[in-house]
Amino acid sequence: MSYTTVGIVDYGIGNHTSVMHSFRDLGFRVRISAGIKVLSSTDILVLPGVGAFPSAMHALHQRDLVGYLQEQAREQRPIIGICLGMQLLASASHEHHFTTGLNLIPGEVMPLTHSKWHIGWNTVECIQEDPLLQASDGESFYFNHSFSYQGPAEYQVCISRHPEPLTSVIRRGSVVGVQFHPEKSQATGRTLLKNLVEGLVHA
Amino acid sequence: MSDIQFCKRCLYSTIHPLGLTLDEEGICSGCRIHEEKDSLDWTARWEMLERLVKPYRNQDAKNYDCIVPVTGAQDSYYIVHLVKERLGLNPLLVTYNKYFNTPLGIRNLANLRIRFNCDILYQNVNPVSVKKITRSTLRRFGSIYWPILAGQTVFPVQTAVRYQIPLIIWGAHQGLEQVGMFSHEHEVEMTRRYRKDHDLMGHEADDLMSIFDTLQEKDIWQYRYPDDHDLNAVGVRGIYLGNYVRWDPKAQHEQMMREYDYRTAAFNRTFDCYDYVDCFNYMDLHDHLKLYKHGYSKVTDHASREIRFGRLTRNEGLALVRKHEQAPLKHLDQFREWLGVTSGAMQFLMDRHRNPEFWKQIDIGKWEFNGWSARHGDEESAANESPECPDIFEGNDSLECGRDAKYITIGKGWP
Amino acid sequence: MLKKRVVGVVTIKNGWAVQSFGYRQYLPLGKPEHLVENLDRWGADEILVQVIDRSANNLGPDFELLERLGGLGLETPLIYAGGIRSESDGVKLIQLGADRIVIDSLLHDDLSSVRQLSARLGAQALIASMPLSWQDGAIEWLNYRQRSASLISPEIMNIIESGVISEVLVTDWMHEGKSGGFDQNIVSQFPLQNVPLIAFGGLNATEQMAILLQQSNVSAIAVGNFLSYKEHAIQKFKELLADMPLRLAVYESKWSLLADV
Repeated sequence: MSYTTVGIVDYGIGNHTSVMHSFRDLGFRVRISAGIKVLSSTDILVLPGVGAFPSAMHALHQRDLVGYLQEQAREQRPIIGICLGMQLLASASHEHHFTTGLNLIPGEVMPLTHSKWHIGWNTVECIQEDPLLQASDGESFYFNHSFSYQGPAEYQVCISRHPEPLTSVIRRGSVVGVQFHPEKSQATGRTLLKNLVEGLVHA
Repeated sequence: MSDIQFCKRCLYSTIHPLGLTLDEEGICSGCRIHEEKDSLDWTARWEMLERLVKPYRNQDAKNYDCIVPVTGAQDSYYIVHLVKERLGLNPLLVTYNKYFNTPLGIRNLANLRIRFNCDILYQNVNPVSVKKITRSTLRRFGSIYWPILAGQTVFPVQTAVRYQIPLIIWGAHQGLEQVGMFSHEHEVEMTRRYRKDHDLMGHEADDLMSIFDTLQEKDIWQYRYPDDHDLNAVGVRGIYLGNYVRWDPKAQHEQMMREYDYRTAAFNRTFDCYDYVDCFNYMDLHDHLKLYKHGYSKVTDHASREIRFGRLTRNEGLALVRKHEQAPLKHLDQFREWLGVTSGAMQFLMDRHRNPEFWKQIDIGKWEFNGWSARHGDEESAANESPECPDIFEGNDSLECGRDAKYITIGKGWP
Repeated sequence: MLKKRVVGVVTIKNGWAVQSFGYRQYLPLGKPEHLVENLDRWGADEILVQVIDRSANNLGPDFELLERLGGLGLETPLIYAGGIRSESDGVKLIQLGADRIVIDSLLHDDLSSVRQLSARLGAQALIASMPLSWQDGAIEWLNYRQRSASLISPEIMNIIESGVISEVLVTDWMHEGKSGGFDQNIVSQFPLQNVPLIAFGGLNATEQMAILLQQSNVSAIAVGNFLSYKEHAIQKFKELLADMPLRLAVYESKWSLLADV
C-alpha cells in the first residue's frame, strides 16, 4: 500500500467515483475535497471535469480555488487535469463564449476543426520525449469531447489523429493535462495514471 | 413485494431468486423453455454434441479428453454414462469434499468411479478455513453452503487450467431448467458471471475477504476463479449436456438405479428421493434456510419440475409442497457440533434471516408463515380438502447406509 | 487512429437484467451489476445499460441503478438509456457517472428538451435511440410505447442533421435476439447517410458485423443477448473481427495458475 495521497478537487462538477476508484485500485490513498487545507495535505492534485468550460470555471471561482491552483502550480506541486480538467488548465476557452481559464499551461481551447466531436478509443502519439508518457505511446484511450487545446508546441507532449492531429496530452513542469479519460480506459488508463502519479510525485 | 405473481402452470413466482418473467398468458419463462423439450429434435442435437466434442478427443491417449465434475448424487451417474459410454470420451472426474458427507453419498461416489472405471481427483480444502467461511456466511447471508458451491464450481475450472484439459462437461444448467434463463438453442456455456451472480449469491472469494475481517487470503484463495488470461491460454470451455439431451432427472436417476446401482433415500422435506443424497444438510438445514429467506424451498422446485413433465397436476404439486416444506430438521445438532455453535446461538442466527415478507413473529419461538405456498388464494379450500399426494419417487436405501448419521471424513483411511 | 467500437448492452426490466426478443419476450439473466462488471472485465469498448420499463411507466430514469453501478469501480465508458424526461434528468445522470445518455421517448414527446440537453451537456454526450424496421421498401420508426410505426419525421431528421445529437442507435427491434437477424437495410437505407450510427438488434454473425464496420457511417456495433451465452464473448467477437478497426481483445491477468505467463 503506497502512502502517496491523491487529492481530487471537488468543485461540484461531474462524478468523482470513477476517478477515485481508479486511484484506489492502484493502491493510492484518495481525498476528495474543495477545502484548501485537505488538498494541500495531498501529494498530487487531480482536476477532473465534464460538461461546459464556463460553468466549470464559475464553480472554481465560487469555491476560491482558482488562485489556489495557480499558486500550487507556481510552487511546482504536481497537478493532473482530466478531459475538461485539462482544458481548464489553459488560458481561455471559446466554448459558448470566451472564458478565461486557470492559465497554468498557456494556450486556448477551440472547437474541433474537422469534426464536431471526438468520441471513442483513439491512439496517443508522443511527439516529445517524456518519461511519464513513454510507456503509453501508441496505446488507445477513450475520448469524449468537442473542444480541444491549441497552444505552443513546447507544451504539447502527445497528439491523436481524428484524422487531423489534435492535442491529447499537454505538460508544463509539474502540471499535466490529458484530453481523454484514463479512468475509463481500462488497463491502458490504469498504467498511465500510475506512471503519472509516481513520476510526478517522485520527480 | 406486493406484486408477487404466480405462473399459471407451475408453482414459481416472479420473486424467484434467479429471476422469472411471465408472458402475456401468465406462463413463466421456465415453463416456456421447458416446452422446447418436446419440440426440439434431440437426435439432431445429439449430433451437434458429437461434433462439438470431436476436436477435444485426444488421439494419442496422452491426456484426458475432458473433465467431469461429480458428486455422490445429482445426475453424476447419468453424466458419466453419457460422457464415457455414449460419447466414448476419456474423462477425468473431479469432486469437491463438501464435509457434510453421508455414508450413502460416499458409497455412491465410490460405486460411480468403480462401475464406470474412471480416474478421479478429490479436492479437500482445510477445515479451519471452511468453518471460518461458513460461520461468516451463516451470520451475514444466512447461508451454510458458500464453500461448497464455490468449490464445486471452481475446482473443475482450476483443474482444467492446471492439467491443461480444456473441455469441462456439466449436466444441466440450473438457470435454464428452473426459470428458462436461456433457450436450449442458445447453447449456453459456463461463465464466471453466472457463477458469481447465481451460485455465489453475488460474492466471489475476494469479495468475502473485503466483507469479513475474520477472513484472510489464505482462507479464500482456493476458491478464486482462474483469470481470463489462463482460461484463454488453455482454451477452457464448460458445456452443458442438457442443451443436447432431453434432460429429465427423474427418468435418468431411475435408469441409473436400475443399470448402475445408484442408491437413493427418502427425505422429510421433499418427495424427491433421488437427488442430494450425498449431503446431510442440503435437504435439511440448507433447505430450511431457503424457506426462511425466500419463502419457498426445494420441494417447490421439485414439484414445479414434475408439473412441467406432466407427472403431477398443479394441485398435486401444491399439496406436496404444503405437506413437506415445514418438516422438522433431523441433522441440525450435528451441524452445530461441526461448526461449534450452541443451540441457542444457532436458532438466533437462523431467525435473523427470516424474511419479514414471509415470516411474522407472533410469540417467542413462534412464527407465522406467509410464503409462496400460502399465497395461491386457495388456502381455504386447500385446508378443507385433503388432496391426493401421489408417491412417484421411491428411495432404495437411506442416507446413513446402515451406519451412524455422521459426516464421513474424507481421507481418513480405514477403519 | 480512431477505432470503431463494440458496445456491450445490458437490458433491464423490473430491475432485472434480461434477454429481450423482438421487444416482446423476455428471459431473466440476473443482477444488472454483475453483467455490467463482467463486460467491464472483458473489455467492452462501451457499456450501454438500457432500462426499458421506465418511460412506459412514467418513472423517470433509474438513478439508483447508476449510483449502484458507480460503486463498482468500473473502468469502461458507461451509457445510460431509459426514462429521460428533461434537461435536469440528463444532468443528474452525468453527475451520477454516466458518460453519455440515450433518449427515445423524448424524441416523440419533447424536442425542445432534446435541444436543451445538447446545449447543456454537449452533443457528444447525447445519443438518439431509434427502433427501426424495413417494411415494404421503407424505413419505419417504432414508437414502442404505443406499438405503432411511422416514417421518420422531418423534425427528427432536422434534429439529427443539425448536430444536436452525436450518434443514432438504430435497433432492428423485430430481429432482436435472432441469430444473424440484423436487417442491413436499417443502416443502408437510413435517410441520413452522414450521421454516425450504432447498429443493434440480432447482431452476432461476424460476417455481418464486418460489413457494417466497414461502412463509413457506422461508428459502432452493439450486442445484447448474445453476450451471455459464452465466456469471453466480447473478446471472441473481436478476435473474429481482427481485420476491423477495433481495439484488440484483452484477457485480464491477475493471479495466474500457469507456470510461465
